[in-house]
Amino acid sequence: MVALSVAAVLAVFLLYTSIAGGGTPTLRPSQLAGHTGRVSLVGKVVGAPTGDAHAGGLRFRLRDRDGTATVPVVYTGSVPDLFRQDREVVVDGKLRNGLFVAVPNTLVTKCPSKYTPKR
Amino acid sequence: MPDLGRAALVTSLLLLVYALVAGSLAAWKGRRRLAESAQNALIGSFAATIVAAVVLLAALARHDFSFQYVADHTSRELPLGYTLTAFWGGQEGSLLLWLLVLGGYSVAAVLTGKRAGRDVLAWVVPVLGFVGTFFAFMLVFVSSPFATQRALADGAGLTPSLQNPYMAIHPPMLYLGYVGLTVPFAFAMGALLSRRTDERWIVATRRWTLAAWAFLGIGQLLGAHWAYVEIGWGGYYAWDPVENAALMPWLAATAFLHSVMIQERRGMLRVWNMVLVVLAFCLSIFGTFLTRSGVIQSIHSFAQSPLGSWFLGFICLTTVGSVGLVLLRLPLLRTKTRLESLVSREATFLYNNLLLVALALTILWGVVYPILSEAVTGEAASVSKPYYNFFLHSFGLPLLLLMGIGPLVAWRRASLRALGRTFLWPLAAALAAGVVLLALGAGSSRVGVIAYTFSVFGLASIVLEFARGTSARRALGGVGWPAAFSSLVARNRRRYGGYVVHASVVLLAIGVAGSSAYQTVREARLKPGDTMTVAGNRLVFRGFETRMESNHRAIRGLVDVYRGDKYLGRYKPGKNEYFAEDQISNEVSIRHNPLTGGDLFLIADQVNADGSIDLKALQKPLVNLIWLAGFVFVGGALIALWPDAREERRLAERYAGAAVRI
Amino acid sequence: MTTALVVGALLAIACIGLVALPFLREPSVRDDRLARPDELEQRRLALAEERDRALAALKELEFDHRTGKVSDDDYRELVGPLRAHAAEALRALDLRAEHTAEERVPARG
Repeated sequence: MVALSVAAVLAVFLLYTSIAGGGTPTLRPSQLAGHTGRVSLVGKVVGAPTGDAHAGGLRFRLRDRDGTATVPVVYTGSVPDLFRQDREVVVDGKLRNGLFVAVPNTLVTKCPSKYTPKR
Repeated sequence: MPDLGRAALVTSLLLLVYALVAGSLAAWKGRRRLAESAQNALIGSFAATIVAAVVLLAALARHDFSFQYVADHTSRELPLGYTLTAFWGGQEGSLLLWLLVLGGYSVAAVLTGKRAGRDVLAWVVPVLGFVGTFFAFMLVFVSSPFATQRALADGAGLTPSLQNPYMAIHPPMLYLGYVGLTVPFAFAMGALLSRRTDERWIVATRRWTLAAWAFLGIGQLLGAHWAYVEIGWGGYYAWDPVENAALMPWLAATAFLHSVMIQERRGMLRVWNMVLVVLAFCLSIFGTFLTRSGVIQSIHSFAQSPLGSWFLGFICLTTVGSVGLVLLRLPLLRTKTRLESLVSREATFLYNNLLLVALALTILWGVVYPILSEAVTGEAASVSKPYYNFFLHSFGLPLLLLMGIGPLVAWRRASLRALGRTFLWPLAAALAAGVVLLALGAGSSRVGVIAYTFSVFGLASIVLEFARGTSARRALGGVGWPAAFSSLVARNRRRYGGYVVHASVVLLAIGVAGSSAYQTVREARLKPGDTMTVAGNRLVFRGFETRMESNHRAIRGLVDVYRGDKYLGRYKPGKNEYFAEDQISNEVSIRHNPLTGGDLFLIADQVNADGSIDLKALQKPLVNLIWLAGFVFVGGALIALWPDAREERRLAERYAGAAVRI
Repeated sequence: MTTALVVGALLAIACIGLVALPFLREPSVRDDRLARPDELEQRRLALAEERDRALAALKELEFDHRTGKVSDDDYRELVGPLRAHAAEALRALDLRAEHTAEERVPARG
């Protein structure tokens, strides 16, 4: 009977993954090229952000944490309080013609303190 | 002073290593004095850890910024309360807290553990020593809270969002839970190592497990409440790896609490119980690992820390060791008892176990998926809300239903005719509720209606259980209803305490369903005088006001709320700008509706230079049931935990003749 | 600084004392063996648990019957075997107790 239920659980699980597909890739700006679907972009905010996330879109550039590749991002929706220049962020979206168009309300910043290693 | 702290930790480490080595030797060779010496070493280690903790606490209290830890996590203007609770605000301090709690639990286990049998206790000591050694080793060699520096004038301060009473108490509560799971684990391993086949270790650790599980649950609710009121995005759970880290062991522990009841009653599922307790403990260490290392991207992601690889090694060693031990002792654990009927309370417990473990494993899969996918394809892929919600619904809804079914089914074998009778009222109540809900328009969310109907079924079955039990007791003793009720609960504390806990989970489910499936969200940019409506509430923006406080500047948007013609009050969502930390925090404004249990949640998304506000308003029905559920949960757990003199006597008699010196 | 040294020294002494205590209290002892339940004792425990389980199951059955979860027919069917099981467990335990007493007496002599 245990085997039956394990099989049932597995079936539910496989059903989901076959329908929904694998997860969303998490990429750095340098890895973006060639990806056309929805991805999670991780990077550091370089340069001062411009625009308005609630009117017309907030524009900023993201750079690899350790690297030089950058990509421009346009974002609408809620902006986390910790968001600012030099912060590391994650945002979902799609690359379109060299511009990363974000899915609204997916911008997340990393908690800066708490468990950082020794400076 | 830091030297004393370091020395104390080294002392603690040495004593824990002694407890591990000498304890193992004593248990293996059967040497009584050495075993007692190892026990005392655990007590000594706890004392040494206390000394180290006091050193850190004192340094925090006097703002000794020559301690790197103090400088990194406090500042002069930080209120004393938060300065002291910053003890567990950082990595090193939280490891020290872990060791401290483990020490406390170890001492208590040692002092009361003779109930499990001296031979079992002899093995429990080295297991506790093993776990403690790891954490002490980390504290001495890898991540010390006593690193010093040139004293700075002032410290970096605490992140403003963490300056909140819920966040202050959330870690200790969680740790009392996480660390508490070490005790049943140690006794289980002790029973296996001493080749015991009886259930004494379960009886001895029952209350520990229940208490640890309760603390873990409360800790999570506190965290969720903090996220709701402080981070303020309108939700309380984001399926973040760090949140999942606490949920997974809790689910495994829930499964364990239930299946242990089957083992007590029928003597079955011994191997499964061993697997569950190992799973719960390993998940709890894994959870600690997730929260400390940068291995998994999370909004709490802490940059790659050397701690990660040590933890991984410890987890692997523990998992392999305990699983190996279980396999080795498999012949001892096997029983002949089989499940008599698929329609019995044992069976419902089994189904519940499978669902809980399945949910825990799918969450685990989701959490480690980024690492696995990166290892396999070179690209880290992650899953998010849709994944978790799918499985929460697939496994959680049947669980909700089972909570209602379980109490109605008899042990061993339930006859279908009897089932029909006992199911009648709860089923009728659920169907009636379903019809009413659909009429009220709840059909907008299929999952919501199902959750509500199942919840009504569950609550009805619990109420019925209490009613039938009280009436049976009354018939027996010829006493009045109140006396019958209290004696019913007093004589069956675990069962009825358990029912109260079930009720709290049902309340939680209703609250979660209401506030997620039926919430309304509206966003608008408002100039002073503009209006927006959300779920029948009219919100009028009146402009901003600014206030200067000691360590921050507070900007508040003034929003007047009306319902029809009635003025409901002025609410002030806004932002705080903290000077020292140079950070902005979101300050939401919440209107609680005491009658409906719902909330009107106002967020000042953006304060604009032209005096307008980007306001986000959420109407969250029934969300306060979630917090109410927490109180009910504590009540139920206390009832279940309450010592029962009669039961104690019976158990003492059962084990009286055991372990006598020949 | 000196408080640190004093506290540290006290801690060290206390810990060494704690660890050495069992040996200091009984420097030479006739029997240093760790009490372990022997085969006999293990079986007695198993029987005691079996007895308690049987008795508890009976009590549960009565209660479930009274609260209507078990029908009269099912009750009649189940109560017989359960009572027999409980009686058997009690008997086995008494037998064990007798045996143990017999076997232990010569050892004492």
